[in-house]
Amino acid sequence: MTTTTADPVEHLARRERLRYRLMSLVIVMVILGAWELAPRLGLVSSIILPPFSAVVGALFTLVQQPFFLGHFIVTLREIVIGFVLGTLIGFGIGTALAIWPSAKRVSYPFVVGFQAIPKIVFAPLFIAWFGFGETSKVVMAVVIAFFPVLINTLVGLESVPEDARRLMRSIKATQWQTFYKVSLPHALPVIFAGVKAALTFAVIGAIVGEFVGASVGLGYLVDLYNNQLRIDRVFAVITILAAIGAGGYFLLEWLDQKLIFWRSDADR
Amino acid sequence: MAEASSGPPGLAGAAEPIVEARGLAKTFSVAGSEVVALEGVDLSIARGEFISFVGPSGCGKSTFLNMVAGLLPASGGEALVKGVKVTEPSREVGFMFQSPVLLPWRTVEQNVLMPAEVFGRKDAAIRQKARAVLEAVGLEGFVGAYPRQLSGGMQQRVALARILTYEPEVLLMDEPFGALDEFTREAMNLELMRITRAAGITVLFVTHNITEAVFMSDRVVVMTPRPGKVSGIVDVGLPRPRAIAQMQQQGFADLIFEVRGLLGQGRGEH
Repeated sequence: MTTTTADPVEHLARRERLRYRLMSLVIVMVILGAWELAPRLGLVSSIILPPFSAVVGALFTLVQQPFFLGHFIVTLREIVIGFVLGTLIGFGIGTALAIWPSAKRVSYPFVVGFQAIPKIVFAPLFIAWFGFGETSKVVMAVVIAFFPVLINTLVGLESVPEDARRLMRSIKATQWQTFYKVSLPHALPVIFAGVKAALTFAVIGAIVGEFVGASVGLGYLVDLYNNQLRIDRVFAVITILAAIGAGGYFLLEWLDQKLIFWRSDADR
Repeated sequence: MAEASSGPPGLAGAAEPIVEARGLAKTFSVAGSEVVALEGVDLSIARGEFISFVGPSGCGKSTFLNMVAGLLPASGGEALVKGVKVTEPSREVGFMFQSPVLLPWRTVEQNVLMPAEVFGRKDAAIRQKARAVLEAVGLEGFVGAYPRQLSGGMQQRVALARILTYEPEVLLMDEPFGALDEFTREAMNLELMRITRAAGITVLFVTHNITEAVFMSDRVVVMTPRPGKVSGIVDVGLPRPRAIAQMQQQGFADLIFEVRGLLGQGRGEH
């Protein structure tokens, strides 16, 4: 490793990184401190906002409850299936629209029009169509998640430089060869940005679906505890949802760096 | 070397031109009106010839090259490569662009082997050929490097190696070194001449640098814009191999002046 090398530039960069981490840490400490103190000093009712330590306590008791794992797994499954299906559908449609310009011209107004709808309004409809089970939540997640992948796939594939296409034509490459040797890798960084957004949207879709009508899942628990005014547990579930989102995001970020290794540091 | 073809087309023989243009023309339709990009060009290019096309922007030199490459359909006349009418790109013709168009996720060697993959060749022989070509362009130490680790000149060497590896008989170059600095460009020109002369490859070289065109070519086709047409062809009789010292000779200056004259004539001024 380079920890012992006396590269002054590297040394300065490391100090800079350390300083920023320290500053983030200070901000987090201030926020958590205020959260802890505000209810304790009576600035807000602890029913509305329980102290941070109470939320941590609720989190530990909640995850030890025998019923918790079932709710956790249901929501995780809805998110993962919704995310994967949404990504595949978005990638498929985006690719199709990029390959067939006439398909794009015909359907693009519908695609844009569809995106203009706040898709959360579909949630009650999906409950009616697909029932109270997991299917309606997965469908909701798919419907919200596929769009950023679609748009980014389309934009990425269309941004392939003209010279690269001409190069492939000049060596008589087939359309398929041009697609997988040039266009797809070229578009991959942009597509991946859409995939990361899709994960966030899939979480939203699953939770909204559960809010509207469910008898199991983390969104259902949030709704339940909210009605019971057990706000410490509401925050505990929110923390778990944040952990799911962050975990997935870092997994994708790791995959991104493995997959798109050629991207220069400036693009990140 | 620059002898004009006299044999009838379609008849195999040493004198048969490898590239031929017969009334090759291009008109574009811009906002409903026809714009002549290139008036009919008649030209015969002998096997192994190095021929340059010079002229200002809009003279149709790139258009001509793209039609010979089969990348752009002709509006009139025809282009022939080895006596066969060009209707689509051919693997006997390599096209080099102003930008190197390297794939950043592939190493130098993988970039060079990309056309071979497209042709369905992955054998040891083609890999050996790629190594030899990379050595010829001075990149033997960068086989495993990625494009972003290379300078602009080195990237163009990779682009050249990528074409030379599949051994086309004709090399079309559209201002290939236009984005490089003067010194790098001169070095690249010398290397291009050395490599293509050794391999007997016919080169059609588009540039707007008169000195470069005269220095490298057997013939210089001078073109003028609005509408794009050939204003004249200058025979460069300078002996090969060419060296920078030749640029100081009177004969060289005369040729430059001749090309300049043809450019000015077309514009009707100077």
